[in-house]
Amino acid sequence: MEKAMKKIVEVTSNPYAYVEGLKEENNKKIIGCFPMYVPEELIHAAGMIPVVIWRGNESVTWGHAHVPPYDCGITRSFVDDAVRGKLSFMDGFVFHIRQCLQAGEFPFIMERHFKPAYQKVLYLPALYAGDAIRDFAITELESFKKSLEDFTGKEITGDSLKKSIETYNENRTLLERVYELRRGKPEILKAREVMQIVWSSMLMPKEENNELLKELIAGMKKKTVETKKNSIKVIPVGCLCQTLQFDILDLIEDLGMIIPDDDLYIGSRYFANKVGLDGNPIEALADRYLTKSPLCPTKGVWDIHWGDEAIKKMKDNDAKGIISILIKYCPPHACYYPDFKSKMDKEGIHEIMIQVEHEVITLEATKTRLQSFVEIIGGV
Amino acid sequence: MEIKYKVNRLQTTNEIRPLVDKHWADLRTAKERGEKVAWASGPSFIFAYAMGMKCHFMAGYSAYCGGIGAGEEVLKVAELAGDLPESCSYHRLHMGMGEAVARGIPINPQAILPMPDLMVAGRLCPEMSHYAEGLNRRFGVRVLPIDLPGPYSKDDMPRIREFVYRQFKEVVIPTFEEVCGKPFDYDRMSEILRILKEVALLRNKCWEFFKDKPSRWTLWDYGVSIAPVFYLMGNPAGITYYEKLLKELQERREKDIPAVAPDGEKYRLYWDGWLPWAFLGKFMRKFIPNGAVVLCGRYPWEFFPHPELIDPEHPVESWADLYYGMESHLTYSFSPKGTIDLIGELIEDYSIDGLVMFSSKTCRVMNLAQPEVIDVLDKKYGVPGVIVEGDMIDSAMISDAQIETRLQALFEMIDGRRKRK
Ligand code: SF4
Ligand code: SF4
Repeated sequence: MEKAMKKIVEVTSNPYAYVEGLKEENNKKIIGCFPMYVPEELIHAAGMIPVVIWRGNESVTWGHAHVPPYDCGITRSFVDDAVRGKLSFMDGFVFHIRQCLQAGEFPFIMERHFKPAYQKVLYLPALYAGDAIRDFAITELESFKKSLEDFTGKEITGDSLKKSIETYNENRTLLERVYELRRGKPEILKAREVMQIVWSSMLMPKEENNELLKELIAGMKKKTVETKKNSIKVIPVGCLCQTLQFDILDLIEDLGMIIPDDDLYIGSRYFANKVGLDGNPIEALADRYLTKSPLCPTKGVWDIHWGDEAIKKMKDNDAKGIISILIKYCPPHACYYPDFKSKMDKEGIHEIMIQVEHEVITLEATKTRLQSFVEIIGGV
Repeated sequence: MEIKYKVNRLQTTNEIRPLVDKHWADLRTAKERGEKVAWASGPSFIFAYAMGMKCHFMAGYSAYCGGIGAGEEVLKVAELAGDLPESCSYHRLHMGMGEAVARGIPINPQAILPMPDLMVAGRLCPEMSHYAEGLNRRFGVRVLPIDLPGPYSKDDMPRIREFVYRQFKEVVIPTFEEVCGKPFDYDRMSEILRILKEVALLRNKCWEFFKDKPSRWTLWDYGVSIAPVFYLMGNPAGITYYEKLLKELQERREKDIPAVAPDGEKYRLYWDGWLPWAFLGKFMRKFIPNGAVVLCGRYPWEFFPHPELIDPEHPVESWADLYYGMESHLTYSFSPKGTIDLIGELIEDYSIDGLVMFSSKTCRVMNLAQPEVIDVLDKKYGVPGVIVEGDMIDSAMISDAQIETRLQALFEMIDGRRKRK
């Protein structure tokens, strides 16, 4: 388990160096997929390596000349990385520009300053009623497939796509298993490690990640941990596209809280829902995207409530509270949050919202707020 | 001697207020008359009008609210209800209004609208979906959502046009038929388009007077005259209004009366982004004393710049084509490439000296790649631009000092280039 974890930490500690090395080792093209819903399986089936774009840890510098300061962290950090040449090892990018307005900033900036060999803009639809929505999602994925075929000069066959889907589904199953084991003994991994595990899956070729996860799971099964008596379980929710600053996860744990599960994208959301293997694989990929749960505020769903989903997750895990993590300047989450909050109030759920900025100056204020939160829920 | 610039106000624009007020008053009292009410975002309200529903258009309401000075108090209620200041201010205005009614918090009665029987959410921008969802979750409003993707490149337009047209036919029209209990009124939609076409053709003639040197009117004058080409569409009073406006502009030309006294403008500017509805006067006071006049902009040009393409005989197809057709491509003007094409044309047609890129802190729909757009256009046309940050409604996001500094920088750049010529 230690060996697997060491590799995961290595991959995620310097994703730039890792992905660059990956390209050399495999002699394959690297395609950056802006989170959250690019169907990576298609890129995989095209013989390239899809990598989910991440938020860097450095302060934004050159990026200021390209994006306003009131854009979310990953938008500013990604543009900064791109214009500073930190992502020069990437051969192409895919942007689903209908997720939020910020995501619409990238294609033109990339075309002007990065000039990627490949770039695809996706318009995945909102999850509204009517056949036109599903048909359009399928058309989008067909057009994505064709653009990849044009770029590589090779056809993506139904069989190769199904094989890629199987590999991805296996990865999802393995990540589910990691989460199950963690749920049984939450102290087995630190929250930052769990985030790194999921993140490693976003960066590594899935075959390799699958092997690593198998090793990790075997180790997790064997390992015994002492359960701390007074720790209070909480569920972090939100933080849409971005890796959360690990310091915040550490802070939550240092204050005596424990995270048995999460509702984060760099977390359980990434591997939720498998792709069907019967029938047309493009339709199956569209259907995974069109799945309403776990609810994502970028997708236009209102017949189920995010708050209900979070409360269920909290109760299933015997947790006592919810920590909402809101990325500063993330409109989909910001617009949903008041309704999420009022659901919590109505149901008498302990919830606190932490707003996270890309450039964290000090964690003191967050610490104070979390401290009083833990005191309140600790007394319940 | 320093020139003292001031605005020559148009007479005709005084006549818009009663039309606008009547629209909102009719809407406020619609339920009392047993009429059905819709709310709409994106270009979707025409379907409600065709069915005889009174309909409020989200951006129009926001402009109105800002115009009557009710913005701040409504935003305060939204904040009280938990809305975050970084959410789009149009979103917050609607939540604030709903919450004020639900919680019995007194606000300007003119800013209160009846809750709709149907909210038609045209999702041009994802936030338009967010506020419809919020209205549904908080107040149980029935939502009819339509996905309206803005194309990044022209190649994407045909498949998006097909997608949008299918939603109109398969979802929008049947839903209206169900809500109103009658077949869709294609004839009325045709009539609305016929009137719109006539109004917009007249409006285009008025645009010609922006090309005069000195200009005969300002973009702000056009801003207050926008309703007849938008949410007052289908109202024949719009034809009368624009006929009068055209006549007044013709008279100005004949008598050589400029928009800016005494002898016309020193700087001819393009305005990018929303019109800052609650701060039109504030910006005017920054421009005019410097002899600057704003003449054209991307958002005000959104209202059917090619009315000749409107085909009232095929109303639903025409509506889809206006937004996504290869000739009209209204939505494409919002992508960075489309923006560059459009502004380039405007720079040439209206002899523009500088670009003011208004960047709303809470609405990013037109902020996309603004610095890039400035850079490309400066290189191509030698016309400088500055970004001015702010908001359409929320005064907390407007900084006088910043506006002042950026505008002065723009004027200096223009002066510098003139000297070098
Ligand atoms: S964090 Fe939010 S605003 Fe930023 S890219 Fe993701 S969904 Fe969009
Ligand atoms: S973000 Fe902008 S375009 Fe979108 S709903 Fe708000 S004001 Fe309108």
